[in-house]
Amino acid sequence: MNAIRKIEAVIAELTSGGIDRREFLRRALAAGLGATTAGLLLDACGGSQDSGDPGGDRAGDGASGGADVPDVIEDRLAIYNWSDYVAEGTIPGFEEEFGVEVTYDTYESNEEMLAKLQAGAAGYDVVFPTGYIIEAMIAGGLLAPIRRELLTNWGNLSPIFLDPPFDPGNVHSVPYLWGMTGVAWRTDRVDAPPASWGVFQDDRWNGKMTMLDDARDVIAAFLKLNGFSINSTVPGELEAAKRDAIEAGTHIRAFVSAPVKGQLVSGDVWIAQLWDGDTRQAAVEEPAIAFALPREGAPIYADAMVIPRSAPHKRAAHAFMDYVLRPDVSAAISDATGYGTANAAARPRDPRPYPSAEELTRLEFARDLGEGTRLWDRIWTEIKAS
Amino acid sequence: MRRAARWLAAHDRVRAWGLLAPGTLWLLAFFVLPVAIMGAYSAMERGLYGGVEPGFTLASYARFFDPLYLRILGRTLWLAALTTLLCVVIGYPVAYAIAGAGRWKHALLFLVVLPFWTSFLVRTYAIMFLLRDSGLVNSALLALSLIDEPLTLLYTPGAVLAGLVYGYLPFMVLPVYASLEKLDPALLEAAESLGARPVAGFLRVTLPLSLPGLVAGSLLVFIPSLGAFLTPDLLGGARQVMIGNLVQQQFGAGRDWPFGSAASFILMALVLAVVYVFLHRGAGALPEEVE
Amino acid sequence: MRRPPWWVAGLTAVTLCLLHLPIAVLIASSFNRSRFAMRWDGFTLDWYSRLLERGDILEALRASLVVALVSTLLATVFGTLIALGLARHAFPGRRIYQGLLYLPIVTPEIVVGISLLVLFATAGVTLGLGTITIAHVAFNISFVAVVVLARLHGNGRDLEEAAMDLGAGPLTTFFRVTLPQILPGVIAGALLAFTMSFDDFVITFFVAGVGSTTLPLLVYSMVRRGVEPTINAISTIILAVTTIAILIAYRLREGESS
Repeated sequence: MNAIRKIEAVIAELTSGGIDRREFLRRALAAGLGATTAGLLLDACGGSQDSGDPGGDRAGDGASGGADVPDVIEDRLAIYNWSDYVAEGTIPGFEEEFGVEVTYDTYESNEEMLAKLQAGAAGYDVVFPTGYIIEAMIAGGLLAPIRRELLTNWGNLSPIFLDPPFDPGNVHSVPYLWGMTGVAWRTDRVDAPPASWGVFQDDRWNGKMTMLDDARDVIAAFLKLNGFSINSTVPGELEAAKRDAIEAGTHIRAFVSAPVKGQLVSGDVWIAQLWDGDTRQAAVEEPAIAFALPREGAPIYADAMVIPRSAPHKRAAHAFMDYVLRPDVSAAISDATGYGTANAAARPRDPRPYPSAEELTRLEFARDLGEGTRLWDRIWTEIKAS
Repeated sequence: MRRAARWLAAHDRVRAWGLLAPGTLWLLAFFVLPVAIMGAYSAMERGLYGGVEPGFTLASYARFFDPLYLRILGRTLWLAALTTLLCVVIGYPVAYAIAGAGRWKHALLFLVVLPFWTSFLVRTYAIMFLLRDSGLVNSALLALSLIDEPLTLLYTPGAVLAGLVYGYLPFMVLPVYASLEKLDPALLEAAESLGARPVAGFLRVTLPLSLPGLVAGSLLVFIPSLGAFLTPDLLGGARQVMIGNLVQQQFGAGRDWPFGSAASFILMALVLAVVYVFLHRGAGALPEEVE
Repeated sequence: MRRPPWWVAGLTAVTLCLLHLPIAVLIASSFNRSRFAMRWDGFTLDWYSRLLERGDILEALRASLVVALVSTLLATVFGTLIALGLARHAFPGRRIYQGLLYLPIVTPEIVVGISLLVLFATAGVTLGLGTITIAHVAFNISFVAVVVLARLHGNGRDLEEAAMDLGAGPLTTFFRVTLPQILPGVIAGALLAFTMSFDDFVITFFVAGVGSTTLPLLVYSMVRRGVEPTINAISTIILAVTTIAILIAYRLREGESS
């Protein structure tokens, strides 16, 4: 803020008549340039970017891309994750043991993170996308392959999440946490567990129901109701789902995602389409909240760790992923976040049992929709605007 | 130096461009250029997984002219217009009061702006808390026995309107205040001494002179509210789809950047037309002659 | 400007109260034991003490303040200059320029954000607080210019011409005659710009670099898990500090004039 002082001094001198034009111009120019440069150089004293880093944090720099993973663990790591998606001790524990300085940045939407990376943002080493986004990232050439031999704890992972449809062979991703979409409901207000997605068309609960503000989840629910796949791009099937969704629209209050937890707790909402992890979070504050998996089936999600092609610290990224795969670390993360861990060797204090074989027949991994995206988008707009 | 000063004084245009240069250059580099890139995108092919692919096409523009999207545009214009009207009705008296508040002027101005130095999200959650079925407003009304059952306030167009007005009020108050504050009381006194009653004094002296502020405030409320997307999502339960939501969606799950850009450009063109009409004919217009 | 009639003052008081009602809720929630702040579960100062542990929140606040201050300064200077140029001088294309000035206001933030990111990425510019500041200045220039223009409208140049006739140079005239006249408009514009910058999310999200998190970025990313009342706590603190600062400023001014 030195520049402001200078400007003030100049103004004071000017108004007291003790300066001539030439001197004023010179000083004002200097102060102005100073202010501008100060602003532009702020990241030098602000962020933790290291301009001396060989990998560089330059946006769009693909020079460090490719499968090239150095032998030595770098001393920095940039993580891009959801907020509160690790345990409190996870990052400090890693920093101490490996001597790596970690930056933890957060995003709130898979799609916005994808758009940012596609537009050219670089500098992140480990990102935690959801499965169907990973498929898009792979197709878009945004990810670097994982060097499996560097992950000593790979064997801890549950087979359910290995070789997923969105990343066959786990070439680019390491499973992290998982969840399902179902129905959260108030046991003290609703007489029986919602057994079907049709509950959202039930007159009895008019005005007390919400569904997620998410095209994939809402349309998936009604695709399942009609017996179709949640990844369907068949126009006829989507039209049927759309009709059901619009009909449900006359019964539900709103499309709300995470903020609905508060409304469940307060009793404004009795039945909400919600993910199981979030339902558990709400149940902590209000034990009368339970989770139901409709009989027609539902989406199952797996979030995974990936390494962007432009990551400057790939070796540290692998070290971090291997660290997360340790049973104790995974267990702590599962307990802290409320979601189930893909690490079968982990023993969380509050375990989330994996879906049974029977349930697995009803659950489907969400995949990228490819060409069908445009149709889905139009249908979602129609549903919301109805 | 003296000769240069005199030459500058004689060449109005050069002085004008001297003043305009720094800001204009910044805008050219960091607004016009990037948005032009977006404009190019709007005429390109959509990338399958997001982004764009080479190939010239105006299909995205054509796609917009569909009843579904036009209806959304219509609703957006309607909500924005209502918001502006309410902001005028509520904001003008506030600006008037502040401008006449003497020593307390700046304190009151700060009071108007202060709520907006908290996070928008937390503020909106607080509004949701107030409007919920079990929220403060309903609880108060029930306690006073004014109603029997909670009113449905949240997730309605009214809630979105309330949220928009709340969010854009300072954009009306500040310019109107700036315009009113410089009003010379002598003008009003002169009017009164000539026999004008207070209402006439207001309508014929104060209001016309504060019109530039009113026009600026109206445009500063109307235009950005067209692009609102978080307020309709949170307070409208995502059921009040506005253009902002549509555009947001296209860069997100919709993975259709060209369509998102096209929709934005159509909106921008529309607004520029409105602004031009306003400014060309209205009181916000720059005078023909430089005074 | 004379004193307003009683009913206008009354309306203003009501409006200001309504404006601050959600703020009161926000502040009350910061003392609520319940995490989702939907019922009153008991008074607690836990969220405030937790702030001390959350270094990331404090860091984000610092980043937001720095960006807001610098970008407001630059935007106010550029915007005021533009307003002066437009209002006081004739040049071809004047009307068109004024209309185009509204473009940054109407362009959806996501369009500006992504396209700026593409620009920076293509030019190889490192993302960081600097790029955020650049972006904020860009969208704030228009706001300031429009507000100051409203102030300048109808302002004759008589005073300036009188000053110059009396021998004042152009720069002295600017600082001693023009600036005081337009100062309320400049202040109003600066206030607006600061507010917009401090709370901006969408554009900031796209042009922020690794480690350059501002407060809005932090808060919005908490939505999925539920925004912790620690955010309410820091908002309350910001409000308290600002109010105290204004009170002190007022005290000082009163002290000066007496």
